[in-house]
Amino acid sequence: MPKITIDGTEIEASEGRTILQALDDAGLLMNGVDIPHYCWHPKLAVDGSCRLCQVEVEGIPKLQIACDTPVQDGMVVHTANDRVKAAREGVMELLLINHPLDCPICDQAGECKLQDYAYDYGVKASRSKEPRRALKKNVDLGPTIVFDQERCILCRRCVRFCREIPKTGELAVFNRGDYSVIETFPGTPLDNDYSMNVADICPVGALTTKDFRFKIRVWFLEEVAGICTGCSNGCNIHLGVANNKVYRYVPRRNDAVNDTWICDAGRMSYREIGAPDRLRECMVRDESGRLAPTGLDRAIEVAAGRLRRLIASKGAGVIAGLASAHATNEDLFTFRRFLSALGSETSGVAVVRGKADDLLIKEEKAPNGAGAREIGFGDARTVVDRISSGGIDALITLGHDALHESLLGSEKPLADLDTVIVLDTHASELQRVAHVIVPVRHAAEKLGTFVNVARRVQRVVPAVESAWETYADGEVLAKLGAALGLEGFDGSYDARQVARDLAAANPAFVGIDLDSVGDTGRLLAGSAASGAER
Amino acid sequence: MLETPYVTNYLTEHFGEEDYPTIEGYERVGGYRAARKALTEMSPDEVIELVKIAGLQGRGGAGFSTGMKWSFMPKDTDRPKYLVCNADESEPGSFKDRILLERGSHQMLEGILIAAWATGASTTFIYIRGEYAYPADQMERAIGEAYAKGYLGENVMGTGFRHDVRVTRGAGAYICGEETGLLESLEGKKGQPRKKPPFPAQYGAFGMPTTVNNVETFSHVPHIVEKGANWFRSFGTEKSPGTTVFGVSGHVVRPGLYELPLGTMLSEIVFEHAGGVPGGRKVKGVIPGGMSMSILPAGQLDVPMANEFLHERKTMLGTGGIIVMDETTCMVRVASVISYFFRDESCGQCTQCREGTGWINKIVDRIERGAGEEEDLEVLLDVAGKMEGQTICAFADAAAWPIQGLLRHFSDDFAEHVRQRKCPFAESFEL
Ligand SMILES: Cc1cc2nc3c(=O)[nH]c(=O)nc-3n(C[C@H](O)[C@H](O)[C@H](O)COP(=O)(O)O)c2cc1C
Ligand code: SF4
Ligand code: SF4
Ligand code: SF4
Ligand code: FES
Repeated sequence: MPKITIDGTEIEASEGRTILQALDDAGLLMNGVDIPHYCWHPKLAVDGSCRLCQVEVEGIPKLQIACDTPVQDGMVVHTANDRVKAAREGVMELLLINHPLDCPICDQAGECKLQDYAYDYGVKASRSKEPRRALKKNVDLGPTIVFDQERCILCRRCVRFCREIPKTGELAVFNRGDYSVIETFPGTPLDNDYSMNVADICPVGALTTKDFRFKIRVWFLEEVAGICTGCSNGCNIHLGVANNKVYRYVPRRNDAVNDTWICDAGRMSYREIGAPDRLRECMVRDESGRLAPTGLDRAIEVAAGRLRRLIASKGAGVIAGLASAHATNEDLFTFRRFLSALGSETSGVAVVRGKADDLLIKEEKAPNGAGAREIGFGDARTVVDRISSGGIDALITLGHDALHESLLGSEKPLADLDTVIVLDTHASELQRVAHVIVPVRHAAEKLGTFVNVARRVQRVVPAVESAWETYADGEVLAKLGAALGLEGFDGSYDARQVARDLAAANPAFVGIDLDSVGDTGRLLAGSAASGAER
Repeated sequence: MLETPYVTNYLTEHFGEEDYPTIEGYERVGGYRAARKALTEMSPDEVIELVKIAGLQGRGGAGFSTGMKWSFMPKDTDRPKYLVCNADESEPGSFKDRILLERGSHQMLEGILIAAWATGASTTFIYIRGEYAYPADQMERAIGEAYAKGYLGENVMGTGFRHDVRVTRGAGAYICGEETGLLESLEGKKGQPRKKPPFPAQYGAFGMPTTVNNVETFSHVPHIVEKGANWFRSFGTEKSPGTTVFGVSGHVVRPGLYELPLGTMLSEIVFEHAGGVPGGRKVKGVIPGGMSMSILPAGQLDVPMANEFLHERKTMLGTGGIIVMDETTCMVRVASVISYFFRDESCGQCTQCREGTGWINKIVDRIERGAGEEEDLEVLLDVAGKMEGQTICAFADAAAWPIQGLLRHFSDDFAEHVRQRKCPFAESFEL
C-alpha cells in the first residue's frame, strides 16, 4: 500500500486512488486536511474542471489537481503553502466575478460551498469592475427542481449525476466559454426518480428543490441521523429538524447502503410525519357503534377485555396478529413475545410491494420486512387466508398495509370479526372496522432498529416528539400483555432492553444493540460481509 | 491560376503543376516511392527510428518530436490503433495546412501511410475544419484514387498491410484543433478537451491507442523516408530541422505562403520575402506563430524562426503564422480582437479559462473605450498569470500569452488609452 505524506502527515492509501480519494478513504478530507473542491464528488466520475483542488506535489513542476492525481508511494503533497493558496485564491476570485451577490436571498446560504470557501480561502474585495453575467433566474427544470443560472459555477456535478446515476441524462452544458449554461434538453424536463439529489450535490444555490426552498434557513436545522422508511433499502438520511418539526430528508452518506443518494419518493416521505391524517388519539368503539376518543389506559382495558372474553369462550387460537414492516425490531420482538405468551397461532407480516430498480429503490415499500421475518413473522397471506376461511375472531394489527389489494384488498373481510385492535400511525379504512385504535409513533419519533434488504441492522432515534400523545407499538403491546396478565409482561417497555433481549434470544442479532449499530448500521450475524464493513 | 507559395521547397515545389494533386501527377514526380520503401524494406521500428534521428518536430504548434510520439503507441495490443490527421487549422494567422491539403493531398496521404505502418494503425481519421470544404473535397478525391490504386484498403501495395482513411468534418470550433478536443468531436461529442493522462497513445479515438499529427507533419514524412535523415537535417537548424510553410499576413506587401527552412530570420521573411510594410510605414510588432503566441516588437525581429531562439524572446514558433502590424496599429485594439477570440472559443470547462478569458476581454474593451484605469493593467497581467499552466488544455495558456506579450512590449499603448481616456489611434476601427 502506497504511503504518502500530506502536509507532513503520513497516510496510507490504497493502490490506484487519487489524492482526494485517499483522504476521503481515511476520513480526513475537509476533516483535518482541507483541499477545497467543487467538481469532484466521491460518487461521480472525476471531472477535473473547477481547478480548485490544486496541490503541490514534490518533484512535479506544475500544481496538480488532487482529484485526478493518483497516489504514489513516497509522494509528498503540500496543500497549504503559498503557491497553493495563491492558485486557490485565483480560482475563487474568478468564480466570484460573475456570481451574483444573492446570499441574503439565496436559499443555499449556510450550506453554500462558494460562501464557505470564499470565507476560508480569503478572497479580498472583488477587483472586477465589469458587469456580471445576466442569466435566467427561477428556471423550472422539472417537477422537483428550480434553477438559478446566475448562481451556477458550472462544476457539472448535476450533469454527471444525471448521466451516471439515474442514467437519464436530462442536463447538459449548453454553449461555451463564459456563455456556458446548464440547461435541460428541449422537451426533456429533469424528471427522474432521483432528481432531487442534484440539489444536494450542487455546491451553490443554483439548484434547489421546490419542496424545501424558502421553508427555513438551514442554520436553524438540526440534522438528526436516521433511516428512510420508504422501502427496504433503508437509505441513510439526515432529518432536518427545527421547532420539533421535520422540514426535510437529505441523504446521509453510507457507502454500504445508499452512497450519497436517496430517491425522490423517499425524500418526500418526511411529509408523512406531520401529515394531517396522523392518528392523534386512542379510540374505542362504543355501544352505539361509533368510535370515540379515549385515553391509553381505557383503550388497553377495552382491548384486554375483548381479548379475555374471546380466549375464555374460544381459546387464543382465534386471535391473529398482523405485524407491520414499518415497526422496529424492538416493536416486533415484543409483538412476537406477546403473541406467543397469548397462545395465538396465526401471524404474519404485511408488506406492500411496488416497483424496484437496480439503484436504490427496492420492492418492499417498508423498512423492516427482513427484520420481521427474522423475528419469526411469516407471510401475511396465512393470516388473510385464515380470516377468509372463518377461523379467526380477533385481529391485532400493526399498521394497515394488509389492506393492500395484494392481501385483504379492503377492510371488508374484517367487518365480521369480533375484535379488531389497530396500532397505527395514520388513518385508514381500518377505522371502519376497528374496535380499538391506538396511535403509534413514526420512525422519526422513536428509538429502534430496522433490518434492510441486505440484512443491515440500522438505527432510528427520536428526531422529534410527536405533538400529540403517541406510543411505540412495543409500549402498547407491553401494556396490553400486562393487562392480560401474560407471562413476562410487566407493562414496561424499553427499546434498549428489548434489543438486548432480542440479541440474546435470536442468534442472528448476536452482538447487536442500540449502541453497537452506530449511525451506519451492522450486518446481521451470518450475512456475507459487505465491502464497506471496514 | 494555381495557388502556390511565393517561395517553395521540397514540400511545395510541385504545387504549381496542374496534375500534381492527382495520383498520376504525384507518382510521376516520384510519389508513393517512399511508402513502398517503408512498407517493403523497413520495419516499423526502423521508420520510427529514422523519423526520430531526422528530428522532425510536429508542425501543429507544440513542436513535439514526431518519432517520439509514434514510439508511445503500444506495441503488443489487440486493440485497434488509430491515427488522426489534425486538419482543423483554426489558429488565426495560419493557413498553411489548407494548401497542403488542396495541392499536396497525396503527399500527405503517403505520409499517413508511412506513419500507419510505423505505428501499426488500422485507420486514419482526417479531421478537417468545417469551413474547409474544398480541401475536404480534394482529400476525398485523393483517398478515392488511392483506394482505386490499392494504396489504401485491405492489401496496401500488395504487402498485406491494411489501412483505411476516412475524412471527418469539424463544425468550426478552434478548440477542436486541440488534440483531445478533436477526439471528442470526432466521436460525435461536444468538443471539450480531455484530462491528461491518459494520453491519446493509451486512450485516444473511441478509447483506442491513437496518434494525432498535423497535416504538415505528415507531409514531411515521405521526404525523410525517401531522402534520409541527413538530407532532412540539411535544412533548418540543429534543433529544428526541415522546412516549414510560413504564412505571412497583415501589413505586408506580399501576404501569402513561404516554404523556408526553420531558423530563417523573421526579419528576412517580413522584409525580404513578404516585401515589408506597404506605403513606407514602419513595422510596429509581429506575431511570429499564430495568434496564440506572444508578439515581438519591431526591434526584436532579428530572430531565427525556430523555437530554441524564439523561446529566449518569450514566444514560440507555433504554427508559423506570421502576423505583421504596422505603426498605425492600436495594440489595445489588437488585444481586444485577440481576447474576444479566446473568450468566444474557450470550451468553458476550466474555471480559469472560462472566467479569465471573459474578464480579460471585458477589461481590454473597457480600456479601448477609454474607461480604463491604471490598476487595470496590473489586473490583466495577474489574471493572465492565473490562467497559465493550471488548466486541462493549453488553450488557457494560448489565451494568456498574447496578452502578456502585448503588455510586455506595448504597455505604453495601454497607458496612453488610460491617460487620454480614449483610443489615441485615428485608424483604430470602432468597437
Ligand atoms: C487550443 C489549441 C488549438 C490547436 N489547434 C490545432 C490545429 O488547428 N491544428 C493542429 O494541427 N494542431 C492544433 N493544436 C495542437 C494539437 O493539440 C496537437 O498538439 C497537434 O495536432 C499534434 O500534431 P503535431 O505533433 O504533428 O504537431 C492545437 C492546440 C491547442 C492547445
Ligand atoms: S447547477 Fe450546481 S451542480 Fe450544476 S453545474 Fe451549476 S453549480 Fe454545479
Ligand atoms: S430507495 Fe427506499 S429507502 Fe432509499 S430513499 Fe428511496 S424509499 Fe427511501
Ligand atoms: S483550458 Fe479552456 S479550452 Fe482548454 S479545457 Fe480548459 S476551458 Fe476548455
Ligand atoms: S475538484 Fe479537482 S478540479 Fe475540481
